[in-house]
Amino acid sequence: MPSATLLGQALISGVLAGGLYGLLAMGLSLSWGLLRLVNLSHFALAFLAAYLVYELGTNYHVEPWWSAALIVPAMFAIGVAQHWLFDKFKVNELASLLITFSFAIILEVGIQLYWTADFRRYETEYATRSLKAGPFYIPILDLTLCLVAGALAWGTWLWLRCTYVGKALRAAAEDPGIAAAYGVDHKKLAYLLSGIGAAYAGIAGTFIALIATLAPAQIWAYLGVVFAVVIIGRLGNPLGALLAGLLIGASESIAMAVLAPAWAPVVSFSVLIAILLWDPEWL
Amino acid sequence: MAELLSVSGLSAGYGRAVVLSDIAFRLQEGEALAVLGRNGVGKTTLIDSIVGVTQRFGGSLSLAGREIAAMAPEGRAAAGIGWVPQERNIFRSLTVEENITAVARPGSWTLDRIYGLFPRLKERRGQSGGSLSGGEQQMLAIGRALALNPRLLLLDEPTEGLAPIIIEELLRALRKLFREEKMAGIVVEQHARKVLPITDRAIVLDRGRIVFEASSAALLADGAPLERHLGVTGG
Amino acid sequence: MVDRVGAWRRRRVLAGMMGGAATLAAPGLLRAAPSGKPVRVGGTLSLTGFLAQTAMLHKIASEIMIEEINGRNGLLGRPVEYVLLDDQSKPEVARSLYEKLITVDKVDLIQGPYATAPILAAMGVAQRYGKVMIQSSMGIPKLQTYDRAFPATPFGSEPDVTYPNVILDAMATFPAPPKSMVILTSKFPSAQFMALGMKAQAEKRGVKVPLYLEYESGNRDFGAIAARIKEANADFLWVGSLGLESNLLLEALRKLDYKPKNHFHLYPAPGPLAVSADGDKALCSTFIEPDEPFMSRPGMKRIAAEYKEKAAKANLPYPTIDAQACGMVAEWQILEAAVNGAGSLEDEKIAAWLRKNRVDTIYGKARFDGPYNHGDAAQLIKQVQNKEWKVVWPKELAAPGVKLIAS
Repeated sequence: MPSATLLGQALISGVLAGGLYGLLAMGLSLSWGLLRLVNLSHFALAFLAAYLVYELGTNYHVEPWWSAALIVPAMFAIGVAQHWLFDKFKVNELASLLITFSFAIILEVGIQLYWTADFRRYETEYATRSLKAGPFYIPILDLTLCLVAGALAWGTWLWLRCTYVGKALRAAAEDPGIAAAYGVDHKKLAYLLSGIGAAYAGIAGTFIALIATLAPAQIWAYLGVVFAVVIIGRLGNPLGALLAGLLIGASESIAMAVLAPAWAPVVSFSVLIAILLWDPEWL
Repeated sequence: MAELLSVSGLSAGYGRAVVLSDIAFRLQEGEALAVLGRNGVGKTTLIDSIVGVTQRFGGSLSLAGREIAAMAPEGRAAAGIGWVPQERNIFRSLTVEENITAVARPGSWTLDRIYGLFPRLKERRGQSGGSLSGGEQQMLAIGRALALNPRLLLLDEPTEGLAPIIIEELLRALRKLFREEKMAGIVVEQHARKVLPITDRAIVLDRGRIVFEASSAALLADGAPLERHLGVTGG
Repeated sequence: MVDRVGAWRRRRVLAGMMGGAATLAAPGLLRAAPSGKPVRVGGTLSLTGFLAQTAMLHKIASEIMIEEINGRNGLLGRPVEYVLLDDQSKPEVARSLYEKLITVDKVDLIQGPYATAPILAAMGVAQRYGKVMIQSSMGIPKLQTYDRAFPATPFGSEPDVTYPNVILDAMATFPAPPKSMVILTSKFPSAQFMALGMKAQAEKRGVKVPLYLEYESGNRDFGAIAARIKEANADFLWVGSLGLESNLLLEALRKLDYKPKNHFHLYPAPGPLAVSADGDKALCSTFIEPDEPFMSRPGMKRIAAEYKEKAAKANLPYPTIDAQACGMVAEWQILEAAVNGAGSLEDEKIAAWLRKNRVDTIYGKARFDGPYNHGDAAQLIKQVQNKEWKVVWPKELAAPGVKLIAS
């Protein structure tokens, strides 16, 4: 039986690691839930952002936070441009899967062409600092990620709940025709939301550059687990996405500490299936 | 009184099918109009054409002197058309209050006044739209349309499928709207008896055309013309 | 040159130097210019997908070697043309591409792909058509059951027994020889194979293994694993890692304020581990490094220099030749020696010649007459010292003036 220290440490690591799942899931969940577009290129955009942070950091010695200040607005613009294509070609949910998959492949090839397929590692002093709390260590970078993800999730949730734009978006997601007849300009809002989703990919990418492996094929490493997180967290619900991310991260980590690390990939889908079978009211 | 809506030579339908032909009528500010007719004669198409969700083949529509026939539904909503669709189509995933505030425009119809008209909505304000009963959904659909602060309220079969006691409550609210608030409205209804007491005037549609027009009071006093056109004794 | 990935256009410039024109492009190497119809050698590499990092090193090594061979006498006096396809890191794609190379493109000879799974897939096809296949990266020799498949890398026939003992021998020379060892491994087959061997050999020699853990390849978070390693706190940490997994693990350990006493890594990406602050004194498997005594081997200096130039031009972050790239060099050296030695392009004769003869490769003298066509094992241990990899074991092959450092 693992010690309490081990369990506690695993829980802390897992919850914090889950922050990245949540952060990645948020943008995906928004566009899937509110625009009915499944944006597979979300992962590729996050990695593009990560590579840019890496590039600016290693070659030009730009601090990741400054890089993010440049990259995140650029990602917003890419998101808007992407939606222009969706709009122009009247893309539906199924077609969006195919189109964004192709877009992701193109980005992957582009990344490989410029940065090669080789592993890239952005060495920073942030990566390994920790706070100590009793017998536990709390990595500062992971904690920052979680706090940022939490702030974004709360902010986005409140925005969707309390602002006219947010409510109009949710109304339009449910019934675009009726919403239009009530004066909701769904198209304009969709551009905004698409931009926001891509900007979140940019924020996630900044953290990916700091904590994860950069290789073109890694784009797909988060696909399965993040999809599970999106579904557990309910489509279009940023707070749900974050909480589901933390839940999956914690479950994976506990499984690694108590059972065997090789069980980790099974956990996300087991939790997903369990929750789908349980079918709680909030889902 | 000033003219609010003027419809002339309107032909419209869905896809290529022409449902309405050569419809013409006028509505004054503060006037309530009943649109009567049997099933499938084009009553809903008429409402949908004013909302802007049908295919228009010809004719013109003007609201308070402004031509709206070429406008998209978003524009017509902004111009002052408030719609209560037949299926109610409330946003099921939004709460009652969000259904109202998501589309609200500034004007005299505030959330408080809407709750004043339908106290039940206030009780259910935090519930999701999908959890409401049919009658509550109808109230919400009306409340949502009022939140637009429309110049003209369009109601498509508002009492359909509701329990008699709920219908009573709804009709009381509508009477208050039309009689006391002087809201201009068009109410599509199969059952003339329900709607004539709360409206000023009525038109009867048959096979896509207006076949009869009279004041509601006159029709209430003498049901013979209705019997002739609807084949019923006023339902 | 068939290059399926259109996006690789930049490489076409280099690719154009292959094939018949190569001798003209490299006049410095020109001796007896090969002439006549090119000998077409087909193969796949994982130019895209999750194995693409290493396949790229192999591609550059191939480019160099084709220039080298064509700068000498080619194969049987004819120039070599490399028909390279992208198997996308997928065994099933490799299988059908080898089928296509043999039946549609009708290549004269084939060269093995990279990594165990694609190699196994290609080997099945090769066997069906009786083609000789030389490969350099199958870490589990006993899976090479086809009698015309030959290894270019000196794993030996039982690396899961021999190599752990090389590590244990090195450990025994530490001032305080480690008494316990944590073994952590990816479930990637060739890593897991070595980890199980390490565990068995360690226990046999009285080194305790208090913790043996396997993780799925592509594991994203090493936090919980790090916590378990810290808690076990053994004298030695053996990691069956690939790619950047070792970097991620060491970072996770540092986040817990834990530094493993001595740590060994099986197949990590060499560049990132060497430059990482956590990689200092890390031990790792290798067969060759660009240092003496290896630099004195025939051709090594020239090949290493050319590799550096090409890899830098291809924008590789770590443009130093390593054991991976040398594997591909050896593949071509063996093919060149076997075809010219047998005096034939017939697979049967080439295979027979290889079984009887020894070949001088960049790894030293290779023989193919042992179990599974393997010869002697020649695995070494290298260590990060001052952010560079240096061979430290066995002592007689250590880089000049460099010693194994234990902590």
